[in-house]
Amino acid sequence: MSHVSVPALLSAATLLLAPLPAPAQGTEPAAELTPVPPEGPTDQSPAPQTPPEAEPTGDETGTADVDPVMQAQDLPEVGADWPFWGGDAQATRYSPLDQITPENVEGLERAFVYHTGDMPEGTAEGKYSPEITPLKVGDDILTCSAMNVLISVDAATGEENWRYDPGVPNEAIPYGATCRGVSIWTDPEAAEGDICSTRVIEATLDAKLIALDARTGDPCEEFGENGMVDLWQDVGERVPGWYAVTAPPVLVRGVIVTGAQVKDGQAEDAPSGVIRGFDARTGELAWAWDLGAPEENRDGPPEGEIYTRGTPNMWTTAVADEELGYVYLPMGNSSVDYYGSNRSEAENEYSTALVAIDATTGEVAWTFQTVHRDVWDYDLGSQPTLVDFPQDGDAVPAIILPSKQGDIYVLNRETGESLQPVEENPVPSRGEIEPDYISPTQPASSYHQIRFEPLEERDMYGMSPIDQLFCRIQFRRANYEGFFQPPTAEAPFIQYPGYNGGSDWGSVAVDTDRGIIVANYNNIPNYNQLIPQEETDWPIITDGGDSGEGAGGNAPQEGAPYSIRINAGWRAPFTGMPCTQPPYGGIRAIDLETGETLWDRPLGTARRNGPFGVPSKLPLNIGTPNNGGSVVTAGGLIFIAAATDNLIRAIDIETGETLWTDVLPAGGQANPISYEVDGRQYVMIAPGGHHFMGTGVSDAVISYALPE
Amino acid sequence: MPRASSQSTATRAGHWAVIALAIVLAIIGLILLGGGVYLVVLGGSWYYAIAGLLLLASGVLLFRFERAGALVYAAAWAFTLAWTIWEVQFDWWAWVPRMVAPTVLLVLVLLALPARRARMSQAA
Repeated sequence: MSHVSVPALLSAATLLLAPLPAPAQGTEPAAELTPVPPEGPTDQSPAPQTPPEAEPTGDETGTADVDPVMQAQDLPEVGADWPFWGGDAQATRYSPLDQITPENVEGLERAFVYHTGDMPEGTAEGKYSPEITPLKVGDDILTCSAMNVLISVDAATGEENWRYDPGVPNEAIPYGATCRGVSIWTDPEAAEGDICSTRVIEATLDAKLIALDARTGDPCEEFGENGMVDLWQDVGERVPGWYAVTAPPVLVRGVIVTGAQVKDGQAEDAPSGVIRGFDARTGELAWAWDLGAPEENRDGPPEGEIYTRGTPNMWTTAVADEELGYVYLPMGNSSVDYYGSNRSEAENEYSTALVAIDATTGEVAWTFQTVHRDVWDYDLGSQPTLVDFPQDGDAVPAIILPSKQGDIYVLNRETGESLQPVEENPVPSRGEIEPDYISPTQPASSYHQIRFEPLEERDMYGMSPIDQLFCRIQFRRANYEGFFQPPTAEAPFIQYPGYNGGSDWGSVAVDTDRGIIVANYNNIPNYNQLIPQEETDWPIITDGGDSGEGAGGNAPQEGAPYSIRINAGWRAPFTGMPCTQPPYGGIRAIDLETGETLWDRPLGTARRNGPFGVPSKLPLNIGTPNNGGSVVTAGGLIFIAAATDNLIRAIDIETGETLWTDVLPAGGQANPISYEVDGRQYVMIAPGGHHFMGTGVSDAVISYALPE
Repeated sequence: MPRASSQSTATRAGHWAVIALAIVLAIIGLILLGGGVYLVVLGGSWYYAIAGLLLLASGVLLFRFERAGALVYAAAWAFTLAWTIWEVQFDWWAWVPRMVAPTVLLVLVLLALPARRARMSQAA
């Protein structure tokens, strides 16, 4: 094929352009920039290579080593397109489109339904939770399927342009078959129309990083090995399902940044939570941030060694500031979630923290921790959002960070300092398991908290006095002194809010014109208990099978003195009714400037829920558990599915009132998007369902528009 | 004659319905009483133990076709209503586990009244 020579030409162009000083270089000291790739270009550089130990001379020829890929580039904007997972580069999930309004939304109808054809087969049965948010670029929808098949579809007709199947095996499925989305990168050096000038980047469940040409779906040959980089490299023993990527990678200054979902709760000796940056053009490692050995492993571990095992990982999506060159990593917890005494100081410093990394060097710029010494699996699940935050008549470059405990923080994104005071509250108890490890205080946001009052016995629920009595007995038997109740072994303990949030991966949307944050949330406790290791012989799951943790159930926590029994969602046996009172989930609008709640309402009807798992068919807005976020449009509407009622709805952003709904073929545990083709506004969602939420399974991608 | 026979069939069905209802009430009463006492021991609400006792009594009385069975159940229902208002006021979702099932049982107990009367008149 003729395009084979194009990458070669491109590389040549890259080399020629390399020595040119970049216009957007900013104030970065040149000597701190890591040369990427390490070999090759230096031979042809006109300037001598600066030795790594040399003091910065201020001589601009020092940038000769800098790959142009490292410079800030112009980014595509949201509007007709939806070019980023979070809509725009700031991840606001705010579309400037306004054709669909509260007045006409009633007429919204399906424009087309596309089927990816990716449905569970064999051992994948009962493990599908696709959670897909597509991108729209030019005339095309770019998306993945649950098992990472990459697909391009005509955005106006739903006709398939191309597909690429990376052949992910069922055994690679970690907790669920999930591909939240893909990313695109446009090579600033490539001419429009060049092969791979715009690339679709995907990281897969079997830990491959893939780059394809966005127009043809052909692998980008200059990227890794024929368009693929193996993320298992330097991570250690391959155990299928233990190291899987479910989130779209983020791009900053031409560097692809990705973490991975490391199997929770299995063993202390789990794959590393290392965060890696790869050159978007070549796929070569730009840097690695291994919090256990940041200096030693920055350019990858020495020959024969691997990244530090069991460290906190990032399973969700980061966000980047292209101008600053920072990437913001919402970090999770160590692989053993509910016991911490054997964690390293570095783990304690970075777990459940937002970490800003300078993407040009791979070094930590700042950190902001939302839970000290997390033994509740409160890992950061939401993608943060970049905003210009109104304060004292100024616009401060800020980052909005929602947490699973329901705190929303607003931080200065250059320094990591909170723009509002951060409370540091004493915890109710330090327990008896590891009182010296449990932090005596925990932070809370004074800006906004999506959190309800601590539970009381009268908050227990059921379908009748019998199961309510059962739940009351469970409540009284458990250890519970309030928020941040430490884990206990002699009796169960209540964790409230539970590990589903608060705010999870659906993240928040920010209407930057009206100055409103839209946040959906869960309101469900977990009912857990530590079990001494000698009393259990729960197997560690090594075959990609379903395991404790996410599914609720048992997690062996090998390496810690206790296993953990998890009752996520805390339900009464037999009737299957939740043990606590509704609402189990809601959505609220928050004034961006003041953090005050504008309105708050339950999200999700009881139509698919009821005792004994029988759908009640009731249109009552009870407020169900929900997963997945919203898109807000300039037209004044919030589009969100997320709840377990399998409805997508349009909500008036001013009032919180539902103005339109449609029944989806399975749960909309995914983020909708909005885009435009030929002057017509569309709203799209991929309602794939979710195995743990019991919302069915579907391969549909549905696009809505007003009648023409 | 056919009329009398169908009447007695209906009476017989009503008879067994009352027995079944009485057994159900007694079983629910036992569960609430047992669990309720445990809850009291754990430091929780007294409602369930008291309601359990009342339901058990109404079940036994109804089993013996005594009018007091229905009265005791009505008292249990009124007690439940008062307790619900005291504990959660008018938070309607919180009324669901507390009032729905007891009210369904109240309706059944009221429906059982004519059957009891029929049985009483038959006996007379």
